[in-house]
Amino acid sequence: MVERSVHVINKNGLHARPAAEIVKAAAKFRSDITIVRDDLEVNGKSIMGVMMLAAEYGSELLLRADGADEQDAVTAIAKLIESKFGES
Amino acid sequence: MDRTLIGIPASPGIVVGPVHLLRWEVPDVATRILADDSIPGEIDRFRSAVDRAKDRLAGVRDRAAAHAGPEEAAIFDVQISILEDEDLALQVESYIRQNLAAEKAFDVVLIEWRQRFAHHASPMMRERVGDLTDVHIRVLSILLGLADHDPVDVPKGSKAILVTHDLTPSLTVQLDREAIAAIATDAGTRTAHVAILARSLGLPAVVGLRDATIRLTEGEHAVLDGSTGTLVINPTEAEVNVFRHRAEREARDEAELRLHASAEPVTTDGVRITLRANVDLPEESVPAANSGAEGVGLMRTEFLVVGRTAMPDEEEQYRAYRRVVEAFGGKPVVIRTYDIGGDKLPLGGYPHEPNPFLGWRAIRMCLDESDLFKVQLRALLRAGMHGDVRIMLPLVVTVDEVRQSRRLLDEAASELSERGVAFRSGLPLGVMVETPAAAMIADTLAREVAFFSIGTNDLVQYTLAVDRGNVNLAARFTPLHPAVLRLVKRTVEVGHAAGLEVAVCGEMASQPVMAFALIGLGVRQLSVAPRAVPLVKHIVRGISVGLATEAADAALHADNAADAERQLAGRLRAAFGDASFLGDGLLGS
Repeated sequence: MVERSVHVINKNGLHARPAAEIVKAAAKFRSDITIVRDDLEVNGKSIMGVMMLAAEYGSELLLRADGADEQDAVTAIAKLIESKFGES
Repeated sequence: MDRTLIGIPASPGIVVGPVHLLRWEVPDVATRILADDSIPGEIDRFRSAVDRAKDRLAGVRDRAAAHAGPEEAAIFDVQISILEDEDLALQVESYIRQNLAAEKAFDVVLIEWRQRFAHHASPMMRERVGDLTDVHIRVLSILLGLADHDPVDVPKGSKAILVTHDLTPSLTVQLDREAIAAIATDAGTRTAHVAILARSLGLPAVVGLRDATIRLTEGEHAVLDGSTGTLVINPTEAEVNVFRHRAEREARDEAELRLHASAEPVTTDGVRITLRANVDLPEESVPAANSGAEGVGLMRTEFLVVGRTAMPDEEEQYRAYRRVVEAFGGKPVVIRTYDIGGDKLPLGGYPHEPNPFLGWRAIRMCLDESDLFKVQLRALLRAGMHGDVRIMLPLVVTVDEVRQSRRLLDEAASELSERGVAFRSGLPLGVMVETPAAAMIADTLAREVAFFSIGTNDLVQYTLAVDRGNVNLAARFTPLHPAVLRLVKRTVEVGHAAGLEVAVCGEMASQPVMAFALIGLGVRQLSVAPRAVPLVKHIVRGISVGLATEAADAALHADNAADAERQLAGRLRAAFGDASFLGDGLLGS
């Protein structure tokens, strides 16, 4: 199992479009992927779950992956969140 | 059965065509219990319904991208991702394994999810309920074998009348003008977003029909008359001929008016009036420039935000503004900064308000969210390189709002300098006079701004305390109320005394009797929908300022709006005779 914490740094937060991008990225990995915010844990491959996080600008998330490609999965999703999803 | 429905005339023109009924609501689902051996087949049926819904959404997305743009189409990508959600599939399939039919299983899961979103503390989440509802309707319609109703499915050239409850942003981006020839809605008023959009697209529309979606069925023929607000279902041949005849007459009138498009808008006593166009979308700028308008009196910027999933960046805004400015080649283009409330922002994080028209919106929101506002200001400063850009602030009630905006404009300029990006400094900064407060302190404001522009719709709403979106109050929304006329007159006098340009940019100015009244009150600059420019020009050329002033003086002291209208209409008819373009009820509502 691999864990990594990451901050939401795009101004608009994890609204619908970034949530869709995270899920799309997560779906490429075989590992189970969980995203945790405070005491809410959601399935990183479920857009409904990721939107449920309601993660606004500045919030801290914990990414957790468990499986054959867990390291790559966590790195890829963290990179995506840190890329601000193309927002300026 | 009454075959004629009467609504509110929202955009003129007559269309005879098939009804395209868009009943976009969640269907009722009966509970059906499966035998154990049909469970695997039911799971397959659910999966193929989801696949079909995804295919359709991909088609809708591509066509929306073609009609409206990639940002507008992004909403459908979100809906596709919802359908791909593995938790969704697992939950539905687990209900099916408990012998529930696919449609009921899906219905139960979606109702649960929608409630969780609807009651979420974050507005960002509550805004997504619309997407969930869209997905809910789409998949259930497939599972229940109901008709698909996407407006993009209407074949090109069918000239259909789109009948729907209200035109939501996700429907608006799908509008294909080659397929849809007219719009009829249950909800809305003359000044609702759907009406303004229809007028700017030149689509005939009737709104406020209350129950048209219940009384019409798909494929029926109907006649829609946007000038009188009528919708006749399955008309007889004789009725169609009456409407055709009227449509021909209207077309003749319009063609005749267009002949005057290049004529100068000068009154019979030699006073020059400036006529500009209101523009809602960058795509409208070329037809607007061809209408004979001498610039843009109001460019709304809400299209950049409404129905979108993220705020537009500086570059996208700059390109949109530049497109309009270049279409008008050096003529003035007045661009209004965001006139929206927090509930329209894709950002989320803001509470829904019980009273949004009196709430945190327009300049108030922009000043509090100064980073967001500065993105818009930087884009405007850059667009200033390509023509005569003027910046207009909405909903101003105090001079402090002007001062703060000017400070932010200076900051935006220095940020651009630091980046080494070209821009024009010193763009004229003006205010929209649309509250009684702004009209009353016009003298104070006049010392700090470059121009006034009176927004009649909101001035009427705030002066008379009448919600312009409320169907039940439509008759009380009276722009000719003497209180409104007096505020306009005061603003014009104070503005002119200070040497400022004073324009009127509300939709009202496009109605003959209002244009007449405004000129009588001293207004010399009008901005109307592009389609209305030739008509207003014709009015201007047929009246004298002397007559208009006399009429306006009488209207200022009338007992009420109806009396004021009689004072104005009588004199206007005297000037024009019974010209058909004046319409029956001159105000058209």
